[in-house]
Amino acid sequence: MRKIVSLAMGAVLVWGMVALGEVIKIEFNTLFHEADAKAMEEIIDLFNASHTNIQVELIQGRWAQYYAELRLSVIAGTPPQLGICHVNRLVEVADYLTPLEASPVGNLIQIGGINPADFPKATWDAGELAGHHYLIPLDTHGWGLWYNKDIFVAAGLDPDKPPQTMGEFMAACEAIKAAGYYAFHPAEDSLPRKLRRAWEIFFYQMGGGALFDEGYTKATFNNPAGLLALQFLVDIFNNFGWNIVGGNGYNQFTAGRLGMLFAGNWFYPTARDSGVNWGYAKVPNFFGTPYTWGASHQLSVPLQPAGTSPAVYQATMEVARFVVEHSHIWTMSGGHIAANRTALKNPALLSSDYWTRSGHLLDEMIQQGLVKFPINHPRGSELEKAIETYIELAVNGKIAPAAALAQAEAECNKILQGR
Amino acid sequence: MEQDWTVKSKLTRFLYRHRGIEGIVYVLPFAALWGVFLAWPVGYGIYLSLFEWNPIKGSRFVGLENYVALFRDVRFLNALANTFKFAAMAVPLILGLGLLFALMLWSWGRTCRGAGFVQAVLFFPYLLTVSTVAITWKWMFDPDFGLVTHAFKALKVPAPVFLTEPAWALPAIAFATAWWLSGYRMVVFQAGLGDIPQELFEVASIDGARFRHKFLHIILPLLKPALLFSLVLTIISAFRTFGQVLMMTEGGPGRSTEVLALYLYWTAFEYFKIGKAAASGVVLLALTLILTLIGVKLLGLKSELQ
Repeated sequence: MRKIVSLAMGAVLVWGMVALGEVIKIEFNTLFHEADAKAMEEIIDLFNASHTNIQVELIQGRWAQYYAELRLSVIAGTPPQLGICHVNRLVEVADYLTPLEASPVGNLIQIGGINPADFPKATWDAGELAGHHYLIPLDTHGWGLWYNKDIFVAAGLDPDKPPQTMGEFMAACEAIKAAGYYAFHPAEDSLPRKLRRAWEIFFYQMGGGALFDEGYTKATFNNPAGLLALQFLVDIFNNFGWNIVGGNGYNQFTAGRLGMLFAGNWFYPTARDSGVNWGYAKVPNFFGTPYTWGASHQLSVPLQPAGTSPAVYQATMEVARFVVEHSHIWTMSGGHIAANRTALKNPALLSSDYWTRSGHLLDEMIQQGLVKFPINHPRGSELEKAIETYIELAVNGKIAPAAALAQAEAECNKILQGR
Repeated sequence: MEQDWTVKSKLTRFLYRHRGIEGIVYVLPFAALWGVFLAWPVGYGIYLSLFEWNPIKGSRFVGLENYVALFRDVRFLNALANTFKFAAMAVPLILGLGLLFALMLWSWGRTCRGAGFVQAVLFFPYLLTVSTVAITWKWMFDPDFGLVTHAFKALKVPAPVFLTEPAWALPAIAFATAWWLSGYRMVVFQAGLGDIPQELFEVASIDGARFRHKFLHIILPLLKPALLFSLVLTIISAFRTFGQVLMMTEGGPGRSTEVLALYLYWTAFEYFKIGKAAASGVVLLALTLILTLIGVKLLGLKSELQ
């Protein structure tokens, strides 16, 4: 009953604004760039073209400072009406977001006509914190194995059978190396955070457990699995001769000099336009369970200034619903796998080049629960930075893997102890 | 009309009696802008540095705690040391190259064909944005596709992996910065060289002075104002270096290129510890001020500044 009343009130408000000829302006801030920025632009253009009473201004900011901008805009009293939040960053920014079920104008999930059953339960529940629900799932994204089919042929490998076990993978790397190419790059463009993600994949595959204990009182990654995972990562660059320290996997792959690359789904447009005859596969099962690294973008409503009109909230939720309902475009053009079940069944998506060549495999990894999300802690960014700093030094051969993990552990524990 | 005349007369008499006010009125627009865009933000930054800032849950006055925490933070001390190392490499390099280019063009003379073109080429990098410079040099140093790497290979010398080798990363960024900024210093030095009377060189030549003597005893002393200006400017920009480090190495490998401004950026915009970040900003401000004053003192240019 309450849902019907809320919907009716919202509709009346929006109708009232339309009748008065007033256009509601919604500011939507994101942290997307390149392919996913274009995909979001496509969805918003579609919205603006089909709505006369609501117009969305899309502002796509820099990834690194997005969360600071979000918080500062709330503090300044000029927040965007709609924003993005990585699911693991919720714990850091929840104070700056509107609890959707308890907003000043009522339950925004009901007002927006958003049905939680349209999303996988785990993805929907990830938007909940301390009894409040803050997020609406947009996607799940993650890393897969991109490979060059021509190099596979040159190395005497079957281009339609990418390696999926450790044995196959080692053999493929050696064959590619012998053919005169870089065999494998495990970390996109080698930025420290990418090297950490590669290490996390090996760590989780080896059954290393969680990176921190349950209550986040101490780091738990400095264990035999963590060490073996780091040793494997270091060996790729320093002992196996599969790549070189500092090599940029994106550039090597698009230049046709790299056999296999770990990269996110966002690499699709680049791979497609590079002219490389590429293939895509799930992350191989190196050590036991074929986990990969991933995360989830979700929509959020930043905390609005007191007195914000109910019509603005209503319009915001209308935009949010439109975005998730049209997230097949997000998947086709941006590569992220839509969280909305209906969007994921869209015929245009299912017959698209992206879906048939790579998207369906990433979706399978997601459905099988093989995508491991980043850590979830109020000081998560600092913890990740501490880990990746020492992993990078180990990869560069400046410190031994054991010392790297010990130093990262000590620094993380300091952070967790509030120092 | 009579009333207007009375008002005008009163104003004229007032300004005549308080002649200093006229100067203040002229300065007022600039002072207002300076106050709003410089003094107030600096003051507010100092004020913020005394708080654990959280306007949503309530900020807490912590006095000098942020400063104490800073100097106990190994990462901050490392950033401080990296900033000094970077300045020690970049400042002489920028000024040295700027002076070298200026002297080269000056000795060619204005009539030499192609001098204008060379000057334009040398000045051009200064017109680029920091992101363009950083991306260009990141490519130049790329271990697979970089021109610098290929140049080393052509000389049959093993090329260091510049941006992932801790010993090379900071010098590589300093070099890219010198390429970017030395053109402007060149122009400043050219202006200074142009002001030196030719007669001095003619007399020195008659006395048998060589270029070394002319450089040490005529050029350098008379170039002092230009040197001071460039030195102050370069010290400030070296200590505030941020964009090229963020884009070329993100402070890595490890933390070997994490400079103060980058530390401030992570602290404020990634970890959202605004009070601590403000405190590091105040330290950066104080450092820049002290070093600028030392530069002025060392060059003995107090009278010129006055």
